[in-house]
Amino acid sequence: MHEMGVADSILQAVDKELLRYPGRRAVKVSVKIGNLAGVDRESLHFCFDSMVKGTTWEPLELDVQPAAGDELDFSALELEEI
Amino acid sequence: MRVALEGRVLSENDRVAARLREGLMESGTLSLNFIGSPGAGKTAFLEKTLELLPHDLRIALLTGDIQTENDAIRLAKYGFPVKQICTGGACHLDARMVEKHVADWPLAELDLLLIENIGNLVCPTSYDLGEDGKVVILSVAEGEDKPLKYPGIFRKAELMILTKTDLLPYVPFQLEMAKQYARAVNPLIEIVETSATTGAGFGQWLAWLASRMETKRECCDSAIAEVRKVMAC
Ligand SMILES: Nc1nc2c(ncn2[C@@H]2O[C@H](COP(=O)(O)OP(=O)(O)OP(=O)(O)O)[C@@H](O)[C@H]2O)c(=O)[nH]1
Ligand SMILES: [Mg+2]
Repeated sequence: MHEMGVADSILQAVDKELLRYPGRRAVKVSVKIGNLAGVDRESLHFCFDSMVKGTTWEPLELDVQPAAGDELDFSALELEEI
Repeated sequence: MRVALEGRVLSENDRVAARLREGLMESGTLSLNFIGSPGAGKTAFLEKTLELLPHDLRIALLTGDIQTENDAIRLAKYGFPVKQICTGGACHLDARMVEKHVADWPLAELDLLLIENIGNLVCPTSYDLGEDGKVVILSVAEGEDKPLKYPGIFRKAELMILTKTDLLPYVPFQLEMAKQYARAVNPLIEIVETSATTGAGFGQWLAWLASRMETKRECCDSAIAEVRKVMAC
């Protein structure tokens, strides 16, 4: 239910990171989510995709990697030249 | 090109929570975050607690709901400062909401800050409010399997309040199973059985609370003494 907020936090972090790489755009952001993190993956994907669709974030994709416990951490960001 | 991205996704919340925690450490205020399903009896539990606590104790309360001031009105009857946080839709309280609502309270003069989270066993679990501990409230009308279905909160909570025990004769709830399930996900969890209607179990809960408040105060006193010692050098 709070996946919208989580998606928003992810996009903010992507924007912040992009400032360090002028001339590039983000194509994939990877996060690690544990089973006890209280985040539903499908719902997070849904929120993330609806926030990205039709915006300058496109074609950014979310990649969720399994993790232990309540981990909810960033993992990696894939960039390409514009 | 792939770059490593570090840190926690909710790091902004964690940052604010850390700031809150630091403030509460300086003042020696114990802060507890109460989490339970809608209607579990969080407000009733806090009402009974306020009724029984000494009236010179310096307590403040925050209560979160999606809509209405109902819970704040119920809690305000006991003469302690109370603020309602209406999230308008959000299913959890976050550290920023707490920080905003305690801003005009003199934290340094408080012994205890009690926070009733939004009725929900899932989302509030992910948001640190700078509290000293989470307390999960489970009523006997909800079914004994909740610790297994929603393990996150039972794992993170220090204390489980099993409430509405006065209803045990009327609902098929296996009390021992509920406790066993809670301990299966969190072997360290402490459990107190209460009824806000009859007051049963409140002696044990208030003893737990008093001991946590004392530990917090001692911790802060020794931290302050440590800082003084360093400053004197
Ligand atoms: N029999 C019995 N009823 C209780 C007890 N505690 C609460 N109730 C009843 O349970 C209902 C819900 O109680 P609340 O205190 O409003 O529950 P809550 O968890 O604060 O609910 P929300 O804030 O809406 O999530 C009310 O009708 C209370 O009177 C109890 O110990 N025994
Ligand atoms: Mg309530």
